Amino acid sequence: MVGLLIPVFVVALGTAAMIAIIAGWNPKLGRLAGRFKLPSLPRQSSGFDDIIQLASRPDLSVLNCRVRLTTEPDDNRYVDSFSVEVCGTIHAPEDTHHACVRIEIMDMAEGGLPVRSRVKQWQKQGSAAFVYTAELGKLPNAENTLSDWMAVAKIHVDWLLFPRKGERSLMLSLSVLSGESGSELAGAECTFCYESETFGYIELHENLQRAKMLAVPLAFAVSAADGKLYESEVEVIREWVRANMAVSDACEQVAKELDRGLDKTVDFYRQGHHLDNEKICRDIVGLTPVAERYDIVELCLYVAQANGQAAPEEINLLRQLAGWLEVDAERFQAMMEKILPVSMHEVEDVQAILGVSADMDEQKTREQLNREYRKWIARVTSSDPEIQSQADQMIKLIAEARSAYMT
Amino acid sequence: MAKIVGIDLGTTFSALAILNAIGKPEIVPNADGERLTPSAIFFDEDNADIIRVGIEAINSRHLNTERAVRWVKRHMGEKNYHKKVDGKKWSAVELSSLILKKLKQDCSAEHGEIHEAVISVPAHFDEVRRKATMDAGTMAGLKVIGIVNEPVAAALYYATTRAVSGRVLVYDLGGGTFDVTIIDVKGHQMDIVCSQGDHALGGVDFDQKIVEILEKCYREKFGSELIGSEEDRAKYEDEAEDIKKTLSRRQTAKTMLYGPAGNVKVEITRKMFEEAISSLVARTDILLDVALEEAGAEASGIDKVLLVGGSTRIPMVQKHLEKKFGHAPESTVNVDECVALGAALHAGLTMLRENPKEVPVGIASGLEDIHLTDVCNHSYGTICAPIDKETGRRVVENRIILSKNTPLPCESTQMFYTMTEGQKEVEVNVTQGEDRDVKYVNRIATHKFELPGGRPAKCPIKVTYRYDVNQRMHCKFEDIESGRMLEVDFCLDQNGELSQTDVNDMARQLEAVKVE
Repeated sequence: MVGLLIPVFVVALGTAAMIAIIAGWNPKLGRLAGRFKLPSLPRQSSGFDDIIQLASRPDLSVLNCRVRLTTEPDDNRYVDSFSVEVCGTIHAPEDTHHACVRIEIMDMAEGGLPVRSRVKQWQKQGSAAFVYTAELGKLPNAENTLSDWMAVAKIHVDWLLFPRKGERSLMLSLSVLSGESGSELAGAECTFCYESETFGYIELHENLQRAKMLAVPLAFAVSAADGKLYESEVEVIREWVRANMAVSDACEQVAKELDRGLDKTVDFYRQGHHLDNEKICRDIVGLTPVAERYDIVELCLYVAQANGQAAPEEINLLRQLAGWLEVDAERFQAMMEKILPVSMHEVEDVQAILGVSADMDEQKTREQLNREYRKWIARVTSSDPEIQSQADQMIKLIAEARSAYMT
Repeated sequence: MAKIVGIDLGTTFSALAILNAIGKPEIVPNADGERLTPSAIFFDEDNADIIRVGIEAINSRHLNTERAVRWVKRHMGEKNYHKKVDGKKWSAVELSSLILKKLKQDCSAEHGEIHEAVISVPAHFDEVRRKATMDAGTMAGLKVIGIVNEPVAAALYYATTRAVSGRVLVYDLGGGTFDVTIIDVKGHQMDIVCSQGDHALGGVDFDQKIVEILEKCYREKFGSELIGSEEDRAKYEDEAEDIKKTLSRRQTAKTMLYGPAGNVKVEITRKMFEEAISSLVARTDILLDVALEEAGAEASGIDKVLLVGGSTRIPMVQKHLEKKFGHAPESTVNVDECVALGAALHAGLTMLRENPKEVPVGIASGLEDIHLTDVCNHSYGTICAPIDKETGRRVVENRIILSKNTPLPCESTQMFYTMTEGQKEVEVNVTQGEDRDVKYVNRIATHKFELPGGRPAKCPIKVTYRYDVNQRMHCKFEDIESGRMLEVDFCLDQNGELSQTDVNDMARQLEAVKVE
């Protein structure tokens, strides 16, 4: 398989994750184990550490685990972290047996659905479920008893994706595995609660579906902005709906209903009706992260492109939508340049294309035009004739704007 | 001992200069005794074996534009550009080689056979166009020992013949291209700070504005079109060039228009011309601004403005520069010849560096105290796939490794990582361009780099780019763990450009072609 290269910062993330492997459980374990004391009694929260759940005096003949909520420094900020601790006994086949730890978390409030990992490193093979593994080093004896609680992992909450937002009842399963055979040497479970402030994956999926439904009227609004609903534009929307709303997998009945719904929407817009686009955008912003909003903007741009020319009303609406959907203005401009090059603009609105306005002072106009020029002059030698011609056209526009707006 | 020459392969005119016995460059006139040779080609209708280059081609082109070629430099490196004559498709490289062949032939007639040459190119030419220019030289039977940027060549000549020092801006407005280069000059030490260029701005664009004025005058008088054929267009393009030159000397120029609806005498004033070219002059202004920004300089920080190229004779251009910089630009040398003269000096310096035994003693001593530090003319990078910070999605983007305007020679290294477990190869790309978006950069080389299998993702790969003083790129991709290495000594075959074998084959074919 031909791959691309990943730059440095992706690996930096991996390194941060590795730092979370707790130093106590390493090949030096044998020397540390003898110094462990009996587990202390549950204690009150102190400093910024917060005890989520502490077991009553644990049975040291078996393995026990518990989770404490801590805050950990990470890139100049503090993040919530689950400190996983164990005590009790681990039986190994022989002395100095190599062991590792595996941790999974389930959400009991959602019938035991797995908590997922946002970080690829901690994703179960073939699924997104969170599985944390780390080396424990060599267990000194065949029977090892930890008399005091000992941290074996620190799991950043940032890595986790819960099923839903709000109070989560979580069950953590911890296994100590043989590093050689992979068989379980000891296992423990504990439950604890955590208040998640971010949308869970079930909500994200539901919200995404809702946002996609809301994207359809926005796309129609762009199509109808110039007073005409071209068949080519409608076809772009239909194709997008088929590809994005899993119509191909749905039963025929659902597909027909969707088609009927689309037909009704077409009629609605053909009759000159319209919806409150700003409100729809606000709803979408509340439902989805920015990545999905870029997809919606992209759909709208392709709708405007469909009949080969974009009317000024369509371009104005596109700009408004981008603002309401709170996508980055520079990124939107870059998408515009790619999908709707200036040659497709029915009217060359120099101010909008180049980002200058009559109320800008001469210095600001100069800076903006120079910025645009620097961008396009580097593209005039493109090996793609279409880009070359677009760049030539943009350079001419910039020069004309310079002589028009500046003395 | 080698004869050392420099060639200015221009859009409208070309020139050749040779280093004399004491290392001073001199223009070699062509067979017609002219110091400049029009970069025009005409394939003779009556004698298919003869190809006319220069003034004869200009004079013949109105007769049959299908067999005439001008301004081929604007198409240099374009894969799709061809001129079809008598069933043969001539590429821009081949056509340019005919011009070079004519220059070489005329010079050899006076000075004996010449081989080693440096050819000048606009500073903004990319690798593809530079390589195409070198290939054209090879096809013409020259040994191209180097490529020099036109403004650098001009500055080299100015600095070695005139008292120039401080921060100097070279304003090179030629027949078809426009370059601005900022140089720090201290005696004979020249350090290039930055270059910016526009590939489609020059004398021919000014001429086109005059053609538009002529067409408008005729339309207003007769209500019909003046130009009805390519031959008409060719005629009025030449007429426009003459009018432009006249308007550089006088306030008005008169001409007779012979059109299908009747004839009319028109008068074009300098004011009309200046109004027509105002957007083109505005375009030069932006490039000046951008070059000054890149150099971190204000207009007031420029000690001298050196003029290069015939279009700098336009009074509006000179007045404009005087107003902008607060002092009159320098035009004490012939603006049409200084590039070729500087290219000859550059050829001498290159020979001294690479093959000093071949350089006559007189030339060597004439050049020994000249030092030039050039810069990377473009940014070079590779394609990678990082996670976008805003969206959290993986995106394919261009990552710059060697930045534009880095002093030469230079080297830069960046670390990248494999994406997947068990990844057995990486597609490595060498890109040229300033954009992060891969759509807008040119992939100038693509290779498959094979890796050992059975490894986890994120294995480090070290990428090193080196750019030498001869403006050639060397790229190295190194798998850190296994020590495997892929070295790309820059060649452009993968991109559909000419391989060395193609160039040599074409050179043999062109040997049989007669140019006059």
